Amino acid sequence: MRTSIFFISLLLATFSNVAAHAHAFLDHASPLVGSTVASAPREVLLTFTQNLESAFSSVQVTDANGARVDQGKPQISGSTMRVGLKSLTHGTYRVRWQALSVDTHKTEGSFTFSVGP
Amino acid sequence: MFRYSSCSRAFALALIIVALSAAEAFAHCFVGARFLPATLATDDPCVADEMSIPTVAWSKTGDVPAATEWDISVDLAKRITEDFGITIGDTWSQIHQPGGFTNAGFGNLETTLQYQLFKDGPHELALLLGLIVDWGGTGAINSGLADRWSTLTPTFYFGKGFGDLPDSFGWVRAFAVTGQVGYQFPTRNFDVDSGSFIPQVLVYGASIQYSMPYLKSEIRDYQLPDFINHLIPIVEMQLATPVANNFGNSGLTTGTINPGVIWVGSYFQVGAEAVLPVNHASGTGVGFLGQLHLYLDDMFPTTIGRPLLGGSSAPPQQLKF
Repeated sequence: MRTSIFFISLLLATFSNVAAHAHAFLDHASPLVGSTVASAPREVLLTFTQNLESAFSSVQVTDANGARVDQGKPQISGSTMRVGLKSLTHGTYRVRWQALSVDTHKTEGSFTFSVGP
Repeated sequence: MFRYSSCSRAFALALIIVALSAAEAFAHCFVGARFLPATLATDDPCVADEMSIPTVAWSKTGDVPAATEWDISVDLAKRITEDFGITIGDTWSQIHQPGGFTNAGFGNLETTLQYQLFKDGPHELALLLGLIVDWGGTGAINSGLADRWSTLTPTFYFGKGFGDLPDSFGWVRAFAVTGQVGYQFPTRNFDVDSGSFIPQVLVYGASIQYSMPYLKSEIRDYQLPDFINHLIPIVEMQLATPVANNFGNSGLTTGTINPGVIWVGSYFQVGAEAVLPVNHASGTGVGFLGQLHLYLDDMFPTTIGRPLLGGSSAPPQQLKF
């Protein structure tokens, strides 16, 4: 009984680690989601839980007035997506992303970060 | 005692392994940036390819003296098209009377047709229509665990996340609610065996849930342990009120309130809830509800995890903000 429970549970745990096909979710971001940074970042880096289809994944960054502050084309490699930023002043910025994982599951999200003291 | 301790240790070890595992994605009912998990006592507001295998419930009935009841359910949900799906399920029950008498057997087969009425990503709102059919005579009638008659329950489901609140609401935006309201019609008005009327019943329920995944990815990343970031604390409520054709029967509302938690991974979720009866007619003491739920569309995205008609679950298209 004990052995069965252990192996079933181990199977489930192992199963959860199979990084083959699933929705791509934001695992972490730089700057951190909801954080305040003292100095203006030069880029936003998003790391997802699955590899992305570069042609159908994107990110944009806007200031409090809705004006775009990202520059250049987003660079997508494996499970990461990064985009350069213009010179940011103090304020709050919103990052919006959409991702298509390699098995065609779509996900989207947004978050803010602030630059300031 | 040894057996109990051994199982506990194995389970605890498994929990630790799961906690330390690197599963980092979530599934299953998506609306915008919101993920709504499969709820245990009620239903989520999305059609999907998924399987609950099993859902296990333990409780004590409201009889005097109380009987002990085990229910083990399995259900399979399959999308026919992107917005239309069918669910098939059944439950095996065992009721043990204090005197030693035990009843066991399957309940009636249950099917549910569901249509995704509406999804609004920016407002994290999902609406669903369903028709639940409990097929009379397909279960253990002689054991008293299934009825001879069928029931039809047109049901409306909804889900709403609060991520569209202003940013100033902060952590409150991680809350979401789901619910369902159905009206149950029996195909007979009178039960000859018991000599009583068969009531029409209003069946309703709701959940309030707090998404740690949403908090981390949409509001603020507190860099909590990964296991915590996969949790969705939840309180569910399920109630039933006889509203018609109830002559001679009690009109009392019965149901339970279920506080618990759901852990969501890439391909499955595990949920556990306490079951608190709302009154004595609903049960005695605190019961338990547990479920392992598989996300078939994530496990098998190119085969059984996609709609039977209409191609891929999410055909590629140029993204627009």
